[in-house]
Amino acid sequence: MSLLKPFSKLPNINTASILLVESEEHLQQSLADVLVEESSITVNVRLAKSLPLPKENDKDRPRIDLVVFIINLSSEQSFISAEASLKYLDPGYFLGKVCFMVTSARSAAVPTERMDAVRKLAASLHSPLLFAEHQTSEGVAAAAERLLGILKVSAGVVPMTTALYLSNLTRCTLPTDIEQPSFD
Amino acid sequence: MAEAFSLIHSDRSCLGEQSVSSQSGNRSVRVAEKERRKNEAEDSFVLALKYFTDVEAGTPVTGNDDFENHLVQVEKVAYSRGLAPEAIATMLEFAMSSRMGNGPCVRVLKCLLPASVVPQDCVVRAVAWLCVGKIPVNTKVLFVKWVLTVFDMIEAKDQLRAVYGFIFSFVTEETLVRVWHGYNCLCFVVLVRVFRVRKLLELQSKLGRQPFLLHLLSLYKVFCPELVTLSVPSRMRSGFKNHVNPWKSALIGVQKRNGLQVASGISLTVASKEKTNSRKRKLCHLELPAMNSVVNNEAKTEQSYSLKVVPLVQINSFAQLLENMHRIELPAQMGSLLSSSLALQYLDCVQDESALLRLNFWLGHAFQEEFLFSGDGGACQNSEETLQFLNRLLCAQNFLQEGFYSSETFLYKFLTLWDGSLFRPQILGLLSNIPVIPSSQIERLVFEPLKQLYFTSSLFFKCGLLECMTNMLLRWLTWHSVYALEDDLDISLNSHTSINMTLSGFKDSVMELIHFVGHLACVGLRLEGCHSLLLSFTLDFYETVCDTFLKYGLPLLVMPPPGVFYPAFLATETVSVDRLAFIMHRYKINLASAKSQEKLTEQAFHISRQTISEFNHYVVVMVNCLWNSKMFHTGPGVQLREELLVKSNVPQYWKRFDLIHHHAFMSYAFDFHNQVCGKKSHPWHHSKPWGWYVEYLFTMGFDGLKQFVQTLISPQLPAGITQNQNQQT
Amino acid sequence: MNDPGKCLLKRVIRRIPANMLKTTLSHWGRVSDAQLQSVDFTTSKWALTEKLLNICEENELTVKHVTELEMIHVIDYPNLGMWYAFQLFDPDDAAPSVDMTQFKEQFKFHLSKLMRNVSVKIKKHTDEAIWIRVAWGDGFSRPNHMKPTYVVHHLQSSYVFVTRLTSKLKPLLSQALVLSTRYQGIKDANLSGRNLAALRNLLMRQYQQVFSTKFSTPLAEKSENISNPQIEREQAESATKRHQMACEAFGDGVLPQLQSAVYKLETKFRDHNNKTMTDREEPFKCIVKFTSTNLLESLRHCASSGIASTPVTPLLSSVPVKGRNYFVITDNVPGSSSQTNRPQK
Repeated sequence: MSLLKPFSKLPNINTASILLVESEEHLQQSLADVLVEESSITVNVRLAKSLPLPKENDKDRPRIDLVVFIINLSSEQSFISAEASLKYLDPGYFLGKVCFMVTSARSAAVPTERMDAVRKLAASLHSPLLFAEHQTSEGVAAAAERLLGILKVSAGVVPMTTALYLSNLTRCTLPTDIEQPSFD
Repeated sequence: MAEAFSLIHSDRSCLGEQSVSSQSGNRSVRVAEKERRKNEAEDSFVLALKYFTDVEAGTPVTGNDDFENHLVQVEKVAYSRGLAPEAIATMLEFAMSSRMGNGPCVRVLKCLLPASVVPQDCVVRAVAWLCVGKIPVNTKVLFVKWVLTVFDMIEAKDQLRAVYGFIFSFVTEETLVRVWHGYNCLCFVVLVRVFRVRKLLELQSKLGRQPFLLHLLSLYKVFCPELVTLSVPSRMRSGFKNHVNPWKSALIGVQKRNGLQVASGISLTVASKEKTNSRKRKLCHLELPAMNSVVNNEAKTEQSYSLKVVPLVQINSFAQLLENMHRIELPAQMGSLLSSSLALQYLDCVQDESALLRLNFWLGHAFQEEFLFSGDGGACQNSEETLQFLNRLLCAQNFLQEGFYSSETFLYKFLTLWDGSLFRPQILGLLSNIPVIPSSQIERLVFEPLKQLYFTSSLFFKCGLLECMTNMLLRWLTWHSVYALEDDLDISLNSHTSINMTLSGFKDSVMELIHFVGHLACVGLRLEGCHSLLLSFTLDFYETVCDTFLKYGLPLLVMPPPGVFYPAFLATETVSVDRLAFIMHRYKINLASAKSQEKLTEQAFHISRQTISEFNHYVVVMVNCLWNSKMFHTGPGVQLREELLVKSNVPQYWKRFDLIHHHAFMSYAFDFHNQVCGKKSHPWHHSKPWGWYVEYLFTMGFDGLKQFVQTLISPQLPAGITQNQNQQT
Repeated sequence: MNDPGKCLLKRVIRRIPANMLKTTLSHWGRVSDAQLQSVDFTTSKWALTEKLLNICEENELTVKHVTELEMIHVIDYPNLGMWYAFQLFDPDDAAPSVDMTQFKEQFKFHLSKLMRNVSVKIKKHTDEAIWIRVAWGDGFSRPNHMKPTYVVHHLQSSYVFVTRLTSKLKPLLSQALVLSTRYQGIKDANLSGRNLAALRNLLMRQYQQVFSTKFSTPLAEKSENISNPQIEREQAESATKRHQMACEAFGDGVLPQLQSAVYKLETKFRDHNNKTMTDREEPFKCIVKFTSTNLLESLRHCASSGIASTPVTPLLSSVPVKGRNYFVITDNVPGSSSQTNRPQK
């Protein structure tokens, strides 16, 4: 089993690399297109359907600073695939270099159990859980902007903070039982 | 009920007469129709109506060209201009009587698009036909759906109320119940009766917990909570699907073509321009319905009611509202209240909670079904509509100066799913309106999701959130100063909700909020490299916080954390330092007056020693740096060893942050130097030029600094400046 | 014109879209240009029909002429009904030499021998297809023009496409077809769909097919579109491979539009956790139906995006390979776990 390791390679100057993992390959391309537009640093984007990554790319793959799992809540397969991919990551990644991005969370077709499962997964891995409105270009741009913020920190470009510190602030908390509207 | 029976009776006799007369007339009509084939469309329409009035029972449909021809005529008129009340009556009568079998019934129902109003009589008659029972269930469903669609166009509803019992009896037919939800928009509070509830409960035990029954029960519960003791599960989704509506698009088209004809009855103070296309909720899911637009002509005949009610629509002025306050009839569509300021005023002062409950129910439903859990999870197709809705809601909330309960619950749920950019201004606006949350809940409901959003979002989100938090705090403090009852320290937070909170509870919540924002600001400034925009929003917040005691009478003072104080103090913009100075000045005044009150009365609150020591520390740092040029000398804050400082090779390091060398003031110092001293170099720290320089700074508009110097350094400026300075130079 | 003619005309007019009515009528050629000019095509269908009825009365047109109009319409809009494909087999030596006139005569002759009251109309379309319209009657009643059967056949091909055929009349039509085309027999090709052209393209392989090669294919090069060098697909290779396999199975480019694929399973129930069902002797019958507006493209997408595993299971790939969309699946050997699809009938 080949693990993806966070510190096995040296970083490049003013460069950050992000790996987008999405089994459906819907959102990752459009996110990548927005991400590479960033001017303050060079952003390398690697797209994958699932982990592990093919061995033959190991050589020319830069150090991955942030791994993003994109989960489409309306598909069970998407969640299962992301969950299965997790075990090909070095534990070092879970010190602030992994985040989950969820799409179609507002859809009526999403069973609450799946939402809870995703929340639990993110919380157990101490990783942030972001929500994205993938259907509009504004939503995609907003999602890319947030990812970029996290990426900059985890690539060490932002002074005075580290990935671990940020993830401590942003990590998902266990599903909370939110009061539902009742008219008692 | 008896009334309804007699209705049926009269109906039947009526039908009998008709069929007798139609038999003879039928043939001649046909002949006449042949002759006038080339007449205008108007005539053929009249003819068509005549045909449908007179057509004999049992006339075959298939191969009946006359029928086809006439129906096409009616359809043409209906889809282009809508049908006049008499035409509606005729066609409905024809359809429901199923004189030509059930085949054409559906087709006729589908083209019943009213141009203006729907006469009540014909609806009642149709209900009577419904009771005869010849009509198949799906046609019945269609009819009920039609009634729901045009409900607000029905002229008067008094008789309809009388036959509600009949309509209710169809509940037992399961398929009908599914469309029932909307019918309860009829919302006749008087109609909730024990036996109906019992019947529903019975049905529920038979069919199991069907979502549509639960919805119905929950609706009843809104009106008469004492009757429905059943606990209704809170998470109910899609109990009724009434979006699919055959008349929706056609009706919109007809109404657009007719312009404002229908809306003419509306006279709302806030009548907005966008109103023309916002008709009913069922047409455009998130749009606010217009208020029931049909003026009740028969108000005078409603003597049977013990209390004469006045529909809210008929009230045009505040004076009228006051006169009729006790007998106001709320519109069927509660959402329409949001767009009328009079209605909002009514909501604000009326004692009866049912209006607010109903509005909340409507809002909750709109949020839940059509926004939070929109069918496809995307908001792209109706974002314009949603935006309008949210803006209107915000407007209403600002008018009432309080949030609606349902928008609050919606927010708690939505924040956990929010991407931080969808409708950001509106959501933050709604958020700043939420009432005080008990400190035990606040973390879980609001802070946790916001924290996750804040730290992963852009600078602008951070600024927006801080602004929202400032507004929230302001609102809470204002509530406190308005509703606080000083004698028993008990405050009622909201004029409508009965949540009572003790003062200490309220203080805890406010403290939580201030600490939370302190934390956000602290870490946010660090992440964003002390961005001046973020700093400005942070200082905005603390400008409110520093005055909690004097301005809002809340015995609470919280100092900013060092993570806020130092970035502000060491900022490169003079404005930030000036505002910080102002904030410290206000803290001083608040603390001083709290202290003096503490001495005066035993009741006043006790300021913790920590707050005071924090304050003293900050003041000492500021004064030492700015005024005494004694940076790093005293205080429990930043301690550096002398050797290290010397090693840094900064000349006169202790002077780096005085009013002259502080990078925020450096340019002013240069300016002053050029203006006053010219080329000659004067020893600056001599009392005279120093005093001039400080005076110069004050004239540049740094009022905060001025007040800071006046309250905290030397009350009689500039005479007292020298006393500190002499030690230094 | 008699009543059936009027009825038929009314129905045909109703079916022809309003914007096409004028062209179709002029194409028909039974109404003079002057008469066409006099018709106001902006009025309602109902008024138009009345007007046209009058014109037809004037021109003394009969049912026969109206059926011509109907045929023109059906040829223009063939995708309104369900088409079923049949396959002719075992051609005689004379089969390749059958020409249009011969076929026409033979078909009419054989059919009228089989059935007394039948009205046949044959028309050659521009793309060499023969369109046949059969209105059936029976021994005592005249042909019912309201329920005609349409048959499309390309001479020298072994496929026949039929729509609106009742099972009762199927043997008659089959026999007439077999005899007139000089084949030995005809069988159901187990292919149906709403799009006639798609059925024909699928059976005659008129779509872009891809064959597997060992060398890098043009497909792989095509997918390497110019993209930002900072974006890299980690699994681009396997994605290309999947896409290649999917295209090999289903074809490249625009695929024929099929609406559904039906699998009738008559296999034993196998589930280790469910003993009672597994132990039953008789097969577990169920029907699996895939529907889509374009089934083949959907399947190709499933395979190339990884939703369906690659290489594509023969169950799915046999839709284009065998040119059919109805399968009966039975256990090959009792007890073995392999399942195959065996052509039925």
